[in-house]
Amino acid sequence: MSVIEAVSTQTLAGENLTGDAYRDAMHRWLHANLPAGFRSDSAAFAPPTLQQSAAWEAAMYRAGLTGITWPRAYGGHGRSLREHLIANQEIGRLAMPESVNSIGKELAGPIILAVGTEEQKRRFLPAILEMRNIWCQGFSEPEAGSDLAGLRTRATRSGDGWRITGQKIWTSGAYRSQRCLVLARTGPLEDRHRGLAMFAVPLDAKGVRVRTIKSIDGRESFCEVFFDEVEVAQADAIGAPDEGWAAAIRVLEIERATNRMYRAWRFENELRHLISACKADPALSQMVGDRHYAVRLGEVAVEIEVLKAHVETAVEALVNGDKIGARGSLAKLYWSESHQRFAALALELLQQASLPQLAAIKVARRRFEAIYLQARAETIYAGTTEIQLGIIADRILQLSRGK
Amino acid sequence: MTMAEALQPAEFAATAARAVTACADLDVREQARHLAGDGLLGVIANEEVGGLALPLGFAVPVIAAAHAGLLGFPLLETVLAGRLLQASLTRMAGAIVSGETLATIAWQGEAAAERDGVALVLSGTVARAPCAAKVDYVVVRMDAGAAALIPTDAEGVVVEEAAGLDLTVPEHVVRLEKVEIPVGSMLPAGTWDLLSSDANVLRAAAILGSAEACLALAQEHASTRRQFGHALSYNQAIRHALARQKLGLESIRHAITRSLTGDGGPLQRDAAFLAAATYGSSISEGALQIHGGMGFTWDVPVHRHLRRIRTLQAQGDASGLISAFGRRYISEVAPFAETGA
Repeated sequence: MSVIEAVSTQTLAGENLTGDAYRDAMHRWLHANLPAGFRSDSAAFAPPTLQQSAAWEAAMYRAGLTGITWPRAYGGHGRSLREHLIANQEIGRLAMPESVNSIGKELAGPIILAVGTEEQKRRFLPAILEMRNIWCQGFSEPEAGSDLAGLRTRATRSGDGWRITGQKIWTSGAYRSQRCLVLARTGPLEDRHRGLAMFAVPLDAKGVRVRTIKSIDGRESFCEVFFDEVEVAQADAIGAPDEGWAAAIRVLEIERATNRMYRAWRFENELRHLISACKADPALSQMVGDRHYAVRLGEVAVEIEVLKAHVETAVEALVNGDKIGARGSLAKLYWSESHQRFAALALELLQQASLPQLAAIKVARRRFEAIYLQARAETIYAGTTEIQLGIIADRILQLSRGK
Repeated sequence: MTMAEALQPAEFAATAARAVTACADLDVREQARHLAGDGLLGVIANEEVGGLALPLGFAVPVIAAAHAGLLGFPLLETVLAGRLLQASLTRMAGAIVSGETLATIAWQGEAAAERDGVALVLSGTVARAPCAAKVDYVVVRMDAGAAALIPTDAEGVVVEEAAGLDLTVPEHVVRLEKVEIPVGSMLPAGTWDLLSSDANVLRAAAILGSAEACLALAQEHASTRRQFGHALSYNQAIRHALARQKLGLESIRHAITRSLTGDGGPLQRDAAFLAAATYGSSISEGALQIHGGMGFTWDVPVHRHLRRIRTLQAQGDASGLISAFGRRYISEVAPFAETGA
């Protein structure tokens, strides 16, 4: 039986639930439908295939757990950011796989909503939510990593459309994607941020080549994408040539503060899993009873509470019409560094487990060794720690650079 | 809606900042009257004792402003004592809220009580009592989380100066040598836990105020001090250090906000204080570092804030609390079982 058949087809999106009733409905649906094999805190865990992930995420969408704030006209559920937070808190409390289409749902979709044409919204957005189109992000290049303004991929006019040539790198999930949100230059390199345009490039177009890159966790998730005179229709240009980047920046600011909003609650799920595994092990149960590890695990718990505070404050600010601006950098810096500290502590503890190794420890080691390695990327992607510190210094503190 | 209810917490910050400035050259009793006149001592006390009956969140900007301005008065203790006593010792609470009577709280140690007819006889040593040498009453912790109000001029009460970092609101040790108090001065079991929980939020607010002042001083210095032909803030190492201080500061602020929302409970209040203790220390120490040699001088006020933050950290027993916090968290998680994972 496929996952999509296994999970409930009940649609909660249309139900007029709010507050605790909404939370309860989301909670019950997730617990009833998340396959045991998808749970990385279970001995039955087996990484889902792409098809299984897509089916699961489509089911989540139908249940009202994704596309929460998007307008109903484009397939969304038309709810508030507060309900988005509630749903994400419930998602975070379960050890479920990361989305294979987070770029579609949390980057491409919001940008299209902000600057896309009506036709693009109707064509792209429902397909993202229904998992018919998986997206990847073509921003970084070999010569333009943190400094995106230095990107060299070129878009030139070609009849009624565009012709794109260049190379993208660190393009997570390109091998499994149907569309790539490509940032390309329409003017000279000296224009820096001016003359940058965005395109929804179909990855089956002639001239597109994808090569996977093996990462430190052994996975081949991120990719290089080569564009060799790829013809792109005007209908796939997102926003005007000089507007796309500015709009993307505005969206990125919000996204940096709100994307994967479940993180703090997922980290809490990880912490509880770690402690539960330790308490099942004779040696580790003694260790976590000692003051040293009680303090260190307590520090992780405090950091998780602070992260929740960052997220909830950002949500309230947005709900009240405030601008997030550069404040998303604070949350990004906080979660990425605190998660790395937590992952290192988890490794340190689990390495001291008793022999023979219990099933609980095997499950935990499999999960936390993967988390430890993957967390090394968290201070790099979505703007490195150094970039976030620079943003905070420049735009929040507005420190003088004067000579 | 009463006038007080129509107010916003932030409006109290400006009032508090003005009052702190006005208190600069006043002695402790004059400060009390001045602060009371601005309604700041009774922010959270009920109206029967002359307070404004506002939620704890309204005391946060008051305490933050007091500490940003290095107020030399035990405001945190006074604000809490006024509310603590309002139900059982109403007249006393009124006198505290009006600034006529001064009170403080001994945050460390507990006293033991013996019954002697209609009176209680208290013995023991308590400490970390800010300004105890200049106040009329001190609240001390008793067995089973109870608390007692003790007149500092009662026979058997010895208030001693104590070594301590905070020069602005110095701490004292209070020895109780068979001190007789009426039974009515004993507050019920559980009082101390509630007091501590509220105190943790206000301590976090106090640290926020001091940390904010430190960051402002560091930022000002980095922007005006020139070395190697540039302002210090030209250098990435300085910019990033200040950015990290800002992250710590906003983390404290958000943690306090969260602890006061509908979902905020003891765990969130403890977390707010623990976050403030950690980040407040690093912000004040970092601000001192950015000042270079100037930071080590008496005249630059960063050290005064650093002293207060470290003192608040000790008054809230941050070291003991993080251990208890961790143990409590661990105890609530069941050992791994496949069905309960």
